[in-house]
Formats: sequence, C-alpha cells, structure tokens
Amino acid sequence: MSTVAERPPAITSRFDPRFEVTLYRHVGVEGAHALDHYRSRGGYRAAEKAVTEMTPAQVVDEIKASGVRGRGGAGFPAGVKMSFMPPVDGRQRFIVCNADESEPGSFKDRYLMEDDPHQLIEGMLIAGWAIGATIGVLYVRGEYYRAYERLRDAIAEARAAGLLGRGVFAVEGDEETPPRPGFDFDIILHRGAGAYICGEETALMNSFEGLRANPRLKPPFPAQAGVYGFPTTINNVETLCSMVHIVGRGAAWFAGMGTDDSKGTKLYQLSGAVRRPGVYEQPMGATFRELIYDLGGGPSEPAKAFIPGGSSTPMLPWSEANLDLPMDYGTMARVGSMLGTGGVIVIPESQCMVDAMANVVRFYAHESCGKCTPCREGISTWLPKMYQKLLAGLGTRDDLTVMEDMVRNLRGTAFCPLADACAMPVAASFQHFRHEYEHLVDHGTPLFPPVARWTA
Amino acid sequence: MELPTLRPFFEGKPELLRDILDRYPPYGRRSALMPLMWEVQRAERHISEARLHEIADIVGVTLTEAKGVMSFYGTFHEQPIGRYHLQVCRTLSCKLAGADELYRFLVEQTGLVAGETDADGRFSLQNVECLGSCGTAPVLQVNDAFHERVTRTRCAALLAEMRADREPEPTRERGGDNVGAEKASRVDAAAITEVATEPEAAAQPEALAQPAAPADSGTLAPEKEGGAA
Repeated sequence: MSTVAERPPAITSRFDPRFEVTLYRHVGVEGAHALDHYRSRGGYRAAEKAVTEMTPAQVVDEIKASGVRGRGGAGFPAGVKMSFMPPVDGRQRFIVCNADESEPGSFKDRYLMEDDPHQLIEGMLIAGWAIGATIGVLYVRGEYYRAYERLRDAIAEARAAGLLGRGVFAVEGDEETPPRPGFDFDIILHRGAGAYICGEETALMNSFEGLRANPRLKPPFPAQAGVYGFPTTINNVETLCSMVHIVGRGAAWFAGMGTDDSKGTKLYQLSGAVRRPGVYEQPMGATFRELIYDLGGGPSEPAKAFIPGGSSTPMLPWSEANLDLPMDYGTMARVGSMLGTGGVIVIPESQCMVDAMANVVRFYAHESCGKCTPCREGISTWLPKMYQKLLAGLGTRDDLTVMEDMVRNLRGTAFCPLADACAMPVAASFQHFRHEYEHLVDHGTPLFPPVARWTA
Repeated sequence: MELPTLRPFFEGKPELLRDILDRYPPYGRRSALMPLMWEVQRAERHISEARLHEIADIVGVTLTEAKGVMSFYGTFHEQPIGRYHLQVCRTLSCKLAGADELYRFLVEQTGLVAGETDADGRFSLQNVECLGSCGTAPVLQVNDAFHERVTRTRCAALLAEMRADREPEPTRERGGDNVGAEKASRVDAAAITEVATEPEAAAQPEALAQPAAPADSGTLAPEKEGGAA
C-alpha cells in the first residue's frame, strides 16, 4: 500500500471523499466501550500485528514514518520521542499516558476515554511494545470520573480476555509456526485530583509518585529518568490512539493526510460563540473556516477573535484571511500562535476582551504550582491583581505599559511552560485589542459591558 | 489532633487496602497516597487530620509530607463538603455560555458562596477551573457527575431533586462528532444535532459585573423566553 509510484495529493479537508472519521468512529455509539463491541470491529488487531509480526524497532520506525506529532499541545514528533529511549538494559521501563486533559478549550480526550477506552488500551499496548515497557501508567484527571470508571472496567475486561497481563498474544507454536512468548504488559490506572500542572509531563510523574506535582528540572528528560527514575515515554491520549491506526493501516495512510509538517487525522474542538460546538475530527491542514462554518455552523453572534488551540495559544483576530489558515503546526507558528491541542474558542464581539483575558489569567494564576518565582509572583499574584484593578475601573495607561512589560519580561523565565502559557495570550490580547484596554482605563467602564449569556 | 475513639478508616478493610497497594510496584508504595485519600474523601466527604495521619503511616511518609500532597489539589477537602457538592466551571468557554450567571443563581438559591457548606450538610459550593466540557458549556459538576449544558430551568430542576434527597441523573449531551460514527462519517452537517443556544438573548446588558448582592432576587423562576432547552 505504501509502494505507490505517484502519490495522490494529501487529504486536507474533511469533505475529501477519501477522508473517514477514524479516531472518533466509536465515540457516541451506544455500548462502544465494551470489549465485545471493540473486538467485533477489528479491535486489538493492530496491537496483535505489532506484537506478533513486528519488532519494536519496526513499530518505532512506522510511527516515525507516519509523521505523527504529539497531540497534547507541544506537537513534538512522537516517533522521535520514542527513539530517545536508552537501549534495553534490563531496567524497568514505563509508557505513560497523559490523560490530564485540562487546557481550557480542550475536551477531546474525555470522549475518547468514556466511549472508546479499549482504543486507548490498545494504543498503550503498541507504544509499550515499541519502547520495551512492561508497565503502562494511565494518569487520568480526577474530574473525569466517568472516564475513570470506563477505563477501570475496560482494563478489567482486557485482563480477563488475556489482552493485558502475562504473555499477551503469545503463540503456542506448531510445525509451521515457532512459538512466541508474547508480551508482558499491564496498566496502572491512576486518578489525579484537579491540578492543571499535572499535564506537564514531569509534574504528572511527581503526582503519580505521590509527591507534590511540581515540575522537575529537565534534563534529565523522561527517557533517561522518568517514573520512579526509570526510562519513560509519555504521550497524550489522542497520540496513543493514533498509533493504533498507524500500525493497523500503515504509516503511509496516516501520512497521506495533512501538510508538510503536520500529518494525519486530528481531533479539533470547537467552543465559545458557535452554533454547533463539539469535537470534530479533521485531517491536519483543514482550515478554521471548515471547522467553524462547515462543521460548527458558524458563529452564533458576531465574533471578533478566535483562540486557535486552547487558552494558552495567542488569539487571532476574526478575519477572512485568518479563517482560511490551515490548522497545522507550521502555519500556526508562522502567524505567531500555536496549534496547541486544537481547541478553538470563538470570542464574540460583545465580550469585553479585558474581562475574557482576566478569566484566562485567573485560570493560570489558580493553577500555578508556586515552585518558581516568575510564575508565582508574576502569573499568580501581580497579573490577576492588575486585571482586578482594570476591571474595577481604577486602571491607568501606565498600568497597561507595566502589564505589557511584565508579560514580555516573563517570557522564557519560568521553570516550566505554564507562565508562558499565560503570558502569550495576554500579549496577544494587547497586540490586537489594546483599544479595549485603553477604553477601560480612560472611561472606567468597559467598551463592551457584561451581557446575559445563560440560556433560560 | 487525633480523636482516641476514632476507628481507623482502613481497619477491617484489608482487601481494599491490598487492592490499592498492590496496584503499584514495591518501590512505588508512595503512589498509593492519592488513591487512599480518594477512598477517605469519597466516604467521608473530607479528609481529617486523623485520617491523613493514618494514610501517611500506611504509606510510610510523615504527616507533613502527606499534607503537602493533599493541599496541592483542589478536590481534597479538609472540611466536610455537602452531600451534594456543586462545582461550577467558570473558565472561558463556560463563561461565554453564562457560567457567571449560573454561579450567581446557585448563590441565590443555596445561600452559599464558593467554599462554603450549608448547616445541614446538604449543599456545598465550589468554583472550579476548566472541567473539559467546553463544547457542552456551561457545566455543573455535582459530586462525580457532570451536568452539561445546564440552563436556568435545568439548574432549578436539579436543585429541586437534590432538595428532595434524590441524586439527579447525569445527562450526556451530544455535539460535534459525539453523535456516533455512522452519522459522523457521513459528513452530513445536517445530521449533527443543532444546539439550542440563543445568541439573541445576549443583547440585553445585565448587572452581573456588580458583586454578589442580587438586585432582583425575588424572581427566581425562569422567566426569559427563548432557548428551547
């Protein structure tokens, strides 16, 4: 299938007839979380193929060739990350699934876990095989209790069916086929308790180990010293689910979708002022217009900006040109933003931008772990206070300058990316909507006063 | 301070304790801290210092270390929360769907502000950050269950249920590709359920920027038209 001489053009639209919903094909289907349902639709065949027909190195190569980049927000090539693992030396190795989805605007992983938990388990099996890990750690955020229950039951089902445990996919062997020992693999399901910072990979590991969830110094990176100090690879839920299909259908299928630097199918999330919010699966490189208008039904009221990939990504003004941008990593970087998790939030014209940013800042202020000074004092203390002052109508033009200086000087100084995740969207709001800040400090009242938004 | 009469929580629950401790490798005993805290929190709606001491002893850390972990997380409580713990997501997407008003409504209805539990232990109220329900905003989490796309009418009904000591049924809302593969893969936008949001209602300004004191607290019943829930 990958030996086609003349490659057809890559799929970059959901409306391309060759595109099919893959990651979300079971989501929303009644009873899809059960093992029988999953297996009757080809479930666990990809993991079986990996374990029985491929060497770990071949699986890593396949994932590399697919070009899949980490779906948790950073967009690091997943196959490359796997190849950072040191040679197998007999030490315990871990594959960790980061299911601490908590970036505002992101909600794709919740449905994956609630409605299709076996897809994730299969993805962890494949990734575990690829890196030689016999233990998987599935860290799910505390608020996702339904997902936790579904995963707990699914893991029990998989154990009972011999899909987790000792000798998974072992072959007894006969005259023609030699015996295979199979793969020893099991999953530890661990529940968080409500802390955004646990989405940072080293903070997650500390949390899992029963420590305060402060991020660790890098290096050493998780591949050198991760969970309990052992070699570890950590991936997002969607990334692991993608591996099922990369192995099952081949890297060429996955790489046949998307743009130069962003391959495959991706879950985009749409929320805010749109008619049909929700998760939509699209090939990489589809435009914001396709997501917001063709799938989301368009804005529900006049819009002035959209956040492209979760609240930490700098917003883009609502314009025809920006709507036509392809949703991929390279394009977003080029326009000074990020694709993040692909969580698009549409901000309506009637929403005061200062008020909206105060909300975003409050989130990061609340979630700062307090480990390092720039974040604890800047993000967690000064910035929310400045916003409170502005919203109380007591701000001055000088305050705006101070705030701009502050977020500029905060950039890159904190221990982990949380401070930048807050500073960047604030800077973008000043860049595009400074007039709203100025109106507020000049008049003491916002340009767009609060309006009722709650449906009766 | 320890109460001498308090029976240890895990006394008489050896299977539960074993189940939790056996999840982790022998060198990772400390990982059991949070699962043990969850057990206590779910059963007693808070984690007292005595319980925390017990957990610390089981895992083999000091009380201070255990407290350091517990205090890191917003969902572990030192003081008892209500039988119905109301958690309002107030982050951006929920805000854009009226979370500020939802919170105000709950304040009016329960007489609580965030962080409080009422006298008979029925309700407690907490502001929380993004619950990952942005596409079905606003969301109200009651104990472990999400109630998505909570309208004023639905919220009033939920409160009535809980006042009658009935645990309200969580509702699973649909939207986007969560409608099922058959419909989703057909790429038929019309097959995707239309969401009943009424943008027109956003035209009238409301005095929600002012602090809590409700000016028109007499009208609690839903009276605005529009928005077929």
